[in-house]
Amino acid sequence: MGGLASVLAPIAFVNETALRLGRAVGVVAIAFMVIAILIQVFFRYVLGNALPWPDEAARFCMLWMTGLMAPTAFRRGGFVAIDMLQRFLPRVLGLSLNLFLQLISLAVLLVAVNIGWSEVTGFGGRFTTAALYLPTSFGFDEWYRIPRSWMMASLLVGIVLLISVNIELILRSVVTLLGGAHLLPEIPEAAVGAE
Amino acid sequence: MLIWFLPTFLIFLLIGLPVFFALLAAPGILLWLNGQTNDITLLYRNVYNGMDSFPLMAIPFFMLAGELMNRGGITIRLVEFSQALMGHFRGGLAHVNVLSSILFAGLSGSAVADTSALGSMLIPAMEKQGYTRKFAAAITAASSVIGPIIPPSGIMIIYAYVMGESVAALFLAGIVPGVMVGVGLMLMIKVMADKYDFPVASRKYTWPERRQASLKAFFPLMTPVIILGGILGGIFTPTEAAAVAVGYAFIIGFFVLRTLTLKEVPEILSNAGMTSAVVLLLVGAAMAFKTVVSLSHAPEQLASLILSLSENPLILLFLINLLLFVVGMFLDAGPAIIILGPILGPIFTSLGVDPIHFAIIMSVNLTVGLATPPMGLVLFVAAAVSRERVETIAKAILPFLAVEIIVIFLITYIPALSMTIPRITGFAN
Amino acid sequence: TAADYTLRATANSNENDEDYDGLVVFKNYVEAASNGAIEVELFIGTQLCSNGAECLQGVADGTIDIYISTSGGASGIFPYVQVLDLPYLMADDRIAEHVLSGDFTRQMRDMALEDSGGAIRLMTIGNTGGWRNFANTQRRVAEPADMEGLKIRTVVADLPQELVKALGASPTPIPWPELFTSFQTGVVEGSKNGITDIMGMKFPDAGLQYVTLDGHAYMGALWWMNNAKFQEMPEDMRRVVVDGFYALQQATFASPKRKSIQAYEDFVAGGGDLYVPTPEQKTAFKEAATPVYAWFQSNVARGDEVFNALNEAVAAAEVDVNASRDADLN
Ligand code: NA
Ligand code: NA
Repeated sequence: MGGLASVLAPIAFVNETALRLGRAVGVVAIAFMVIAILIQVFFRYVLGNALPWPDEAARFCMLWMTGLMAPTAFRRGGFVAIDMLQRFLPRVLGLSLNLFLQLISLAVLLVAVNIGWSEVTGFGGRFTTAALYLPTSFGFDEWYRIPRSWMMASLLVGIVLLISVNIELILRSVVTLLGGAHLLPEIPEAAVGAE
Repeated sequence: MLIWFLPTFLIFLLIGLPVFFALLAAPGILLWLNGQTNDITLLYRNVYNGMDSFPLMAIPFFMLAGELMNRGGITIRLVEFSQALMGHFRGGLAHVNVLSSILFAGLSGSAVADTSALGSMLIPAMEKQGYTRKFAAAITAASSVIGPIIPPSGIMIIYAYVMGESVAALFLAGIVPGVMVGVGLMLMIKVMADKYDFPVASRKYTWPERRQASLKAFFPLMTPVIILGGILGGIFTPTEAAAVAVGYAFIIGFFVLRTLTLKEVPEILSNAGMTSAVVLLLVGAAMAFKTVVSLSHAPEQLASLILSLSENPLILLFLINLLLFVVGMFLDAGPAIIILGPILGPIFTSLGVDPIHFAIIMSVNLTVGLATPPMGLVLFVAAAVSRERVETIAKAILPFLAVEIIVIFLITYIPALSMTIPRITGFAN
Repeated sequence: TAADYTLRATANSNENDEDYDGLVVFKNYVEAASNGAIEVELFIGTQLCSNGAECLQGVADGTIDIYISTSGGASGIFPYVQVLDLPYLMADDRIAEHVLSGDFTRQMRDMALEDSGGAIRLMTIGNTGGWRNFANTQRRVAEPADMEGLKIRTVVADLPQELVKALGASPTPIPWPELFTSFQTGVVEGSKNGITDIMGMKFPDAGLQYVTLDGHAYMGALWWMNNAKFQEMPEDMRRVVVDGFYALQQATFASPKRKSIQAYEDFVAGGGDLYVPTPEQKTAFKEAATPVYAWFQSNVARGDEVFNALNEAVAAAEVDVNASRDADLN
């Protein structure tokens, strides 16, 4: 079990670092979403001249915000579930059930990452976005039209992070089941509930 | 064959698989067993497509606006304003608790935010005045469900998106039912206050004092005016209104009330982002689930099953009330709407129930479920805020739940309560 | 009663749309002519996918077999289909239908097959909603000069914006569901739509009272199919499918004409001003719009190729149609 705990430590470290970075980018993304829509409101209603890009740019940010921040919520137990049965069961049984559920989640994520990769690299990714361009020269006279795959990658990255978190959670469940709960570093709890 | 994904899903849900994974695993497994492996791609794709939506952006925005208002010291001004109006009644703080929730509902779309923001302030204050802790926690939880009924409302944005209805129409339809819940709770408080001799909160405020409190609450109270006024006037879409609400909350927090500091902003953004990320993933998974619902022809089969029970819409609505109430006991409102909306909505629409009316029935019913034992989300939050046991609060909340159930029946059987405002404003037929 | 082939067809519209009319005809023909060997499942709306990019992705990998897109919906991957949006190239229904029934559609099919790695097959091009016309809330537009300064709603795409600019008006991208209130509040003053859409959305109630029948773009309906699914069928079944699409095309050519009658009547009865430009005025519109042709040829991938193809097809169609007409006259 000491061996398990020592496998867990680097995974936990990687997850913490990656998720912290993800949250930082997510914070920028959500701020930019607000700014983009406010710019649109200003241009449309004050200047009477709507811009083509804010809608799509804001959605771009929302998708990346989701992909980068949801894994933190998952790690902190923020995914909604009915955990009544688990609480009613005797300890070992409840922990085993939890482990079983985590394995189902992992299976879902592994199928998803497979599909996600072919989606991003496939036909659908080759569509262009309607109004997003990136300057490719310093003089802003050459523009690259951003493909849809850049947006679609958000979910793929999110799933990869979720897998990494899921593996950590599975290892934690195993350690707990073997009676080593006291060896586990604490994970802060998520604030949940949109209701 | 494919239809078996519904019971599979139910089992996954009941043994505790997170809703997000259950929504994907159950149809995924059945598609695979059915030899439709290609369609599993469709499932994945609709998770992504389901999230890629302009109207959904209102969810993070309203959540953000709510957080900014909360940190910006706006909540306390609403409570003071409520106290100036109702503090001198018998059971004053209990009334203040409800009125604050009604006012707070105009700024926030979340019952959880209401419970934690108002609860952390009002529960200790009520205890100090001699209310029992369980009563204080119970009225906080019971009144917090007004949050997602009166606009803005996260639940209604989700419902409108999943079911293809107008967000604006749902928002407008929620106003009267939300106020009715509030008034109903106040009537119950009045009955209890006379019986148990509740304390008054304060002496009666003078009119100049009331004016003072109104002025302090003026900027926060303008938020719903801006949101609804903007939507009604056709000036902006609900999503844009939500972004404007964020900008407005930011400006009053920083420049007018000066209670917000730049240092707090990243954490506020992070909290709002994380909470919305979970909801968005859930909506995406629900849209994927909905795809398989169509592929399996489940709605037609379920419709014939339901219609075999009765063809009288009034009886069916009663049964739906019961079903939703039970579902609400176990599942949060958002996921429940996401799962049941696409299945139930079309059946009742075809029976002649207005889709907007049905949306309100579902939303209010499931929102009240947030405050019902054993799995009510706001009960847990109220327990955490008050440090009272969930079971104890669950017992103390029963009289208020009774009131809310009566309101549910009223809005179920009197469509005009929901439909009048959207109709006269031209947002519903 | 399991059929040998099940075709999953989807249209992002509703059952009042000509796309649905086409699909019903297709389903009926194919199921009957194949003696039940082919079954067609219809998904009308957005249950499976909700826009061109999503749905064509589904067609490419076979999760969706048949899908109808507008030129705008497919332009994210096949930008040259916007050639149908180029103003004033095809004079009227008769020319357009002749062009779209001929080799031009096959040429576009080859281009799309090439660009999708053989995944997506263009089966036919029909119509959805008739012709685009300019409509506005301000004044009668009889000639290009009347367009000066009008804020015209367009989708977020380059071509319609270029056209509106070329005519001296200013393009304003507004999402479709918000258009009604945008007319009311004056955020935009005009749009370019077919009459059935204008009446379906009750735009005249928001002040849209001036329609000029300039017919600046043919609202082509591009019917796509998963190529592998098509190719794996034996030849007799492929023939049934191809004939089914022919029947579908004919149905969608006819349906908008029938549907627009009531729409025009309602528009005029509601006090709307319906203006038909004279041939001279129409020529003036075409001249004012010419910069768009050059823009299309130099800015859109394979734009030059498809532009020339369409022009040749139109010229040939005019010869054919005129010859038939002459023969019928005497
Ligand atoms: Na609210
Ligand atoms: Na309250």
